[in-house]
Amino acid sequence: MKTNKIIKVAIASNNYIYNLGIKTILSVIGIKPELFEINTTKELRNLIIERDSPIYLIINEDIFNSNLEQELYKVKNLASDCPLLLFKNNQTKICHSMACISYDENQREILRKLEDFFFSNDVNKKTESSILSERELDILKEVALGLSNKEIAEKLFISINTVITHRKNITEKLGIKTIAGLTIYAILNGIINPKQVNNN
Amino acid sequence: MKQKILFTTKSKMADVIHTNYGLIPIISRFGIEFGFGNKTIEEVCSDKSINVWFVLEIINSYHNDNYFPEKKLQDFSTKLIIDYLSNTHSYYLDNKIIEIQDYINEMELAASIHNLQNIKLLNDFFSEYREELKQHLGKEDKLIFPYIKNLEKISESGKITKEIVDQIKENSIEKYEKTHDNLEVKLSDLKNLIIKFIPPVLCPEICQKLLIELFRLESDLQNHANIEEKVLIPKVKLLEKKILKQSENK
Repeated sequence: MKTNKIIKVAIASNNYIYNLGIKTILSVIGIKPELFEINTTKELRNLIIERDSPIYLIINEDIFNSNLEQELYKVKNLASDCPLLLFKNNQTKICHSMACISYDENQREILRKLEDFFFSNDVNKKTESSILSERELDILKEVALGLSNKEIAEKLFISINTVITHRKNITEKLGIKTIAGLTIYAILNGIINPKQVNNN
Repeated sequence: MKQKILFTTKSKMADVIHTNYGLIPIISRFGIEFGFGNKTIEEVCSDKSINVWFVLEIINSYHNDNYFPEKKLQDFSTKLIIDYLSNTHSYYLDNKIIEIQDYINEMELAASIHNLQNIKLLNDFFSEYREELKQHLGKEDKLIFPYIKNLEKISESGKITKEIVDQIKENSIEKYEKTHDNLEVKLSDLKNLIIKFIPPVLCPEICQKLLIELFRLESDLQNHANIEEKVLIPKVKLLEKKILKQSENK
């Protein structure tokens, strides 16, 4: 995890042994979250509605009574900012884009998937890009889109010298000098959309 | 950085490698192979008929960051310097670049769905760099080095042609020096993207190897550029001046 902020994790399941297992694995991969243990879809729903920041949801299929796919869809809609991981029977079929772990997977796979779940869905990512100031982000966006200093100055109603100063600061803060490198940084942090680059 | 003791012609070749294993690729560029027993640098070089003083200066300049004997290196023939630089070029293109590319490809194969796009971006970035490097080194091998060799030949024989005088006047090495771009900047960006910004990958071992190779290549390129800019180019400028002067005296 990039920041030291305590993350929130909800474990939703009816199975006591399973809950205990997940908690153990979390401590194995070094995650000490603020933990919510939930047994019913109603509790899950309430937790999601009342959240003030994203929660990592680790949901066991056993809390859903019927129509798994539809129930999951509802959860996803309510909690679009929350990463979701489903534990399921290997016979259960769900949409491919859903992150999930089957009971019969081995230790290595399970650890890998859980680590991946936490590390690649960093909900604190936004604070990361605050390395740069708002204005620097504006400038970086235009640089990444391929605009020259002069064009940026005209577009943002500032002098070329100001643009140059901002660019110098951006490079110093990030340690990245070339336009190609800055473009990648901008894409990684969602400052620009990769499609925009192709159009230019 | 700590001051490092310089090697002498009497240093044992094996000690050189034991002291600084980073020199392994450097000695192989001179065609020096392992199995040198207790021979000194001097003995190994004389077996291979290589100029020991040149080898020594190059080894020391790589070994000690504060040591760069421009004047001493300028005393060597341009042919010796160019042969060394050409060997270094093929070392970059045929070994290092391919090795680094393989690591990035492996990382892409092992990437999770969430990280795949990011690794692909790195891969594109490196491909672009690879092309630039190829062009840069290719231009030196095909245009600049032959030009310099020709200059030296003419200067030695004294047969100065109008063509060469025109070439010096229109396309002197100074013109090239101005466009000699820095090859390390993009590498440094690539390193920082990996170290600071790409989310952790699922294959940390490969990522570590990749980073170590990037650091090595960067410092190798730095030394390489120093030899070109501080040794070769000043030598060529002198040659050009000499030829122009001779042509005026005719």
